[in-house]
This record gives sequence, structure tokens and C-alpha cells, in this order.
Amino acid sequence: MNRRAVRAITRKDIISIASNIQVWLPMLIIPLIFSVVYPIGLAFVIRAAGNEISGDFGEILDKLEKLPLLSSGSLRRTLDSLVTDQQRAAYLMFNYLMSPFFLMIPLMAASTISVDSFVGEKERGTLEGLLLSPVDMQSMFIAKVLASLVPAVTVSLLSFVLLAVCANAFAWPIFGRLFFPNISWAPLILLVMPAVSLLAVLINVFVSVRVSTFQAGYQMTGFLVLPVVALMIMQFTGLMLLDAKMLLAIGVAIIIVDYALLKIIVGRLDRAQIFESQVR
Amino acid sequence: MIRVEDVTKQYGKQRAVDALSFQVAPGEILGLIGPNGAGKTTTIRMLCGVVRPDAGQIKVAGLDVQEQGDDVRSRIGVLTETAELYSNLSGLDNLRFFAELYGVDDLGRLDELIDEFGLSVHKDKKAGAYSTGMKKRLGLARALLPRPPLLLLDEPTSGLDPAGIAMVLEEIERLNSQRGVTVVLCSHVLHQLETVCQRYVIIDRGRTVAQGTLPELADMCPGPTVVEVETDYPLEGATYGSVPAKRLPAGRIQFTVSGRDEVPGLIRRLSQDAAVYSVELKGRDLQSVYFRLLEGAGNE
Repeated sequence: MNRRAVRAITRKDIISIASNIQVWLPMLIIPLIFSVVYPIGLAFVIRAAGNEISGDFGEILDKLEKLPLLSSGSLRRTLDSLVTDQQRAAYLMFNYLMSPFFLMIPLMAASTISVDSFVGEKERGTLEGLLLSPVDMQSMFIAKVLASLVPAVTVSLLSFVLLAVCANAFAWPIFGRLFFPNISWAPLILLVMPAVSLLAVLINVFVSVRVSTFQAGYQMTGFLVLPVVALMIMQFTGLMLLDAKMLLAIGVAIIIVDYALLKIIVGRLDRAQIFESQVR
Repeated sequence: MIRVEDVTKQYGKQRAVDALSFQVAPGEILGLIGPNGAGKTTTIRMLCGVVRPDAGQIKVAGLDVQEQGDDVRSRIGVLTETAELYSNLSGLDNLRFFAELYGVDDLGRLDELIDEFGLSVHKDKKAGAYSTGMKKRLGLARALLPRPPLLLLDEPTSGLDPAGIAMVLEEIERLNSQRGVTVVLCSHVLHQLETVCQRYVIIDRGRTVAQGTLPELADMCPGPTVVEVETDYPLEGATYGSVPAKRLPAGRIQFTVSGRDEVPGLIRRLSQDAAVYSVELKGRDLQSVYFRLLEGAGNE
């Protein structure tokens, strides 16, 4: 692998992203909604509901608490140790229901940048110069992956910090102490989030090599949100509890998929095929 | 330096290159010429290993272009009409980026090229704001960056003003004479090629029509040879002896002989009959030869 070229292409792409508001602004909107607007809104709703939560919100909370997967285990014990309905609601909503939602951040951030990686060069007419250079395809692909992965993971980590600050600050009147994150967020942030980002980037960059326009690439990779939506549904309906062990298992599984996918894609990269299909 | 043997490339039903063969010796400047769609750009791309031939073999500097593509590309400086620069990077940053890709360690080389191509004042401006001529000059600087032993230049002077054209042609000659750089030049401006190229390959519809030096190509042209002579011979009628002749303005006579070999005899006879001030063989410049050879190939 040509490390010097990898560094150069990655740096060039990241500079391009940073200097193009049309790329980074959409990449920031979703994280800001999930890590600032949503937690602040949620904290206010819970605070406004009062100590004894009733009505529709109370019913949802009641159903969630009675899910079979929540009948025992550490989360049950934590919920039982909490004093008020407000505390239980905030704990469940932020620590339990938020996690699959949060995975949308690396997914969206990674997709916005990575779909552009090759097809963007094609649309701007610069792909030819890149393919005419003496840089092997493996290095070029790795560089493009890194150029998307680094900003996506950075945005996700910053979003997580923002989420933690907003959740604890705006739910302070409810708890009077730090309550977010709990232990299950460790494997989510350290393992699942980078693994999901890499998966999204790998698929998007590979699609980007083959499609003719950015728009087509973006539409083709829309299916990537489906597994995350499935996780949300399973979490809501109680089919699956995303606790630390489960997240660890999911993280390891995605890393294995990432590795296999990387091997397959790198083995299939063909400069002449890419050039002939993408350069006119 | 380059050996192209029986190379064929087809895009769908269209045959872009058809059993093309030619060679380029080290240190040679070769003009690769032909009409639009002749297969020049495809040939350049195949030489760089980014388009795979369906048949035949291409070797550059003794290396197989398909098997050792990255090694081949590291030896080639290439300028194509369609490869753009990064418009959001400055001219200097564009060169910095490609210096990394080509493993150029001598960063002084960047300033040297920026100066040489008259871009010093504009080096920090975004390449997207460059004029067509400036982009072309920056593209040439990019091609020369790794000091390649082989240059493939597709229309290197298009978009340049007369001073820019002269500068580029001088630079090509200088690189060739001082550093022995081999150059393949594609251009439609044939009189420009005539000043720098030592040999030509003419292609049409993907096939080699002819190859050789300009005199060799001229000798291959079908049809009679036309000679214009400045003389005081009082021509009456349409022949001189048995040679068809026509009076032209300014004391000139145009003779049409069947071949170049007949010219010395004709001039000897004429100089015994009258004063001969100048003799010019017509139709032996690159443009005339090119059209005559293409016309001949089209009639086959």
C-alpha cells in the first residue's frame, strides 16, 4: 500500500469537504437534531409531565416498563432504584431508546461524504488524473474510505458529547446528578458506531465507483438505514434489548462483515473497468 | 521506449482501435495524428494502462502496461484534454497533491515549474478561477512534475495564446534535446507539430495509415509531384517539353511531374533555357501530406 498517497488523497478529500458548505451542512443537521434538539425537547416534555406521569405518555412508559425483556436484569434493577416516574422516563428514553436512534448519525454522516468519493471526482472531471497516477487501486480505495470515515466518526463522537451535555444539563432538575450515558453506551460508541460507519462507508464508496451520478449513488445506498430502523423497532417493541452484551455482539458481528466486505471489494477493484465506465 | 503491437480496442460495436502497431524510439518526438475519432485518445489511454486492449500488446520502457501499470504510470507525464484540476485547491496545492501521488520529494521543483510556466502571481489562486490557458499550463506543469522520461501530450497547445504556444513548443524541444525525454504529441494544429516532431504516425478509424519522417511520408503520397519555380522562362502554352506547366503570378511557373525523381532533370533543362531563381516542391508540408495520405487511405 502507498501510505504517502493514502495520506495525500485523504487530506485532499477532507479539505474539500471542509471547504464545501453544501457537503458538510447536511452532514451536521441530523447530528444536531439527534444530539441537541431531540434531548432538549424530550427533557422538557418529561419535566412538563410532572412527578406522576399519566395520559398517553404515561401509558407508553408503562408498556415499555412491562416489556418481558425488562422484567429482570441490570436495567430493571436500575429502573427500580429510581424514585420518580420522571426519572424512570428520562432514564429509559435517553439510555435505552436513544441508542438505535444515535446510529443514524454515523450512517447519515458517512453516506453524505462517501457517496461523493469516486462519483464526485468523476462529475468534477478529476477522476481521470487520479486514475492516470501511479497509485494502486487499493491505496486509492483505502484513502477514499478514510476520508469519509474520519469525518463521520468525528461528527458522531462530537454528537455523543453534545448529547451527553444536553441530556444531563436539561434533565438536571429531574435527577440532580449525571445519569447519561450508562454502561451500554460504551460498546455502542467505541465499537458499534465506528463499525457501522465503516460499513456504510465501504458500501457507499463501492457504489460510488460504479454509479454515474452522485444522486444515483445516494438513492442506491438509501437501504442502509433499514437495519437501523429494524433495530429501533425491535428496541421499541421489546424484541431485542440493546444492552452492553448485545451491543458488543452486534459490534463484533459488524466488524467481521466490514473485514469480509473490505477484502471482497479490494479484490474486485479494476482500474481499467472503472476508467472505461466512468471517464468519457 | 514504446512498442504497440497489433492492438485492438472495441467499445460495444464500435472499433476504436483496429490492429494498431507502431514504435517510438527513446529520445524521439513522435506526432500521433488523425481526424476526430481516429483513436488517438484511446491509444494514449491504453499506453497509460487505464484502458485495456481487447487484443495485442503494449510495452512502455520494456514494461507490460497491463501487468506493471503503476510502474509504467510512474514513468509517464501525461496531459489529456479531459483531465481536470482540483478547482477548489490553489494552483500550488494542486501540484503539491500530485507531487505526493508521484512521490516527488524535491518541493523546490514545484516553484521551479510554477515560475517556468508563468504562474507565480497566480499560484495561490484557486485553480477553478484560472483561465483556459493557465489551466493548460498548470496541467503541463503537473505532467512534468516527476521529471518523467516519457511525455504523452494530447493537444498541449489548445487554449494557449501565441506566446504560450511558443513557450510550450520550446519547452518540449528543450526537454527532448537536453534531457532526452521521449514525447508523443497529439494535435490537430499540424504546422505546430512540424516544428518539433521527428516522426509521425497517422491513424484513421483506429488503423495505421502511414508512419515515418515527413520526407518519408511525402514520398508515400499517391499522385503527381508539383514544383513551383521562379524563372524568367517565357512559357507559352500548357507544357514545357512534355511536362504540364502553368504560369503563375510573380514570374513563377508550376510544373507537374509524375514523381520527385524527375525534378532534378526538369530543373537542369530549365536552367539551360532560362534563369532559375528558386525551386519549391509543393505538397510536402505535413498538412498536405496528411490530407493526401488520408484521402488515399479513404479510397482503398
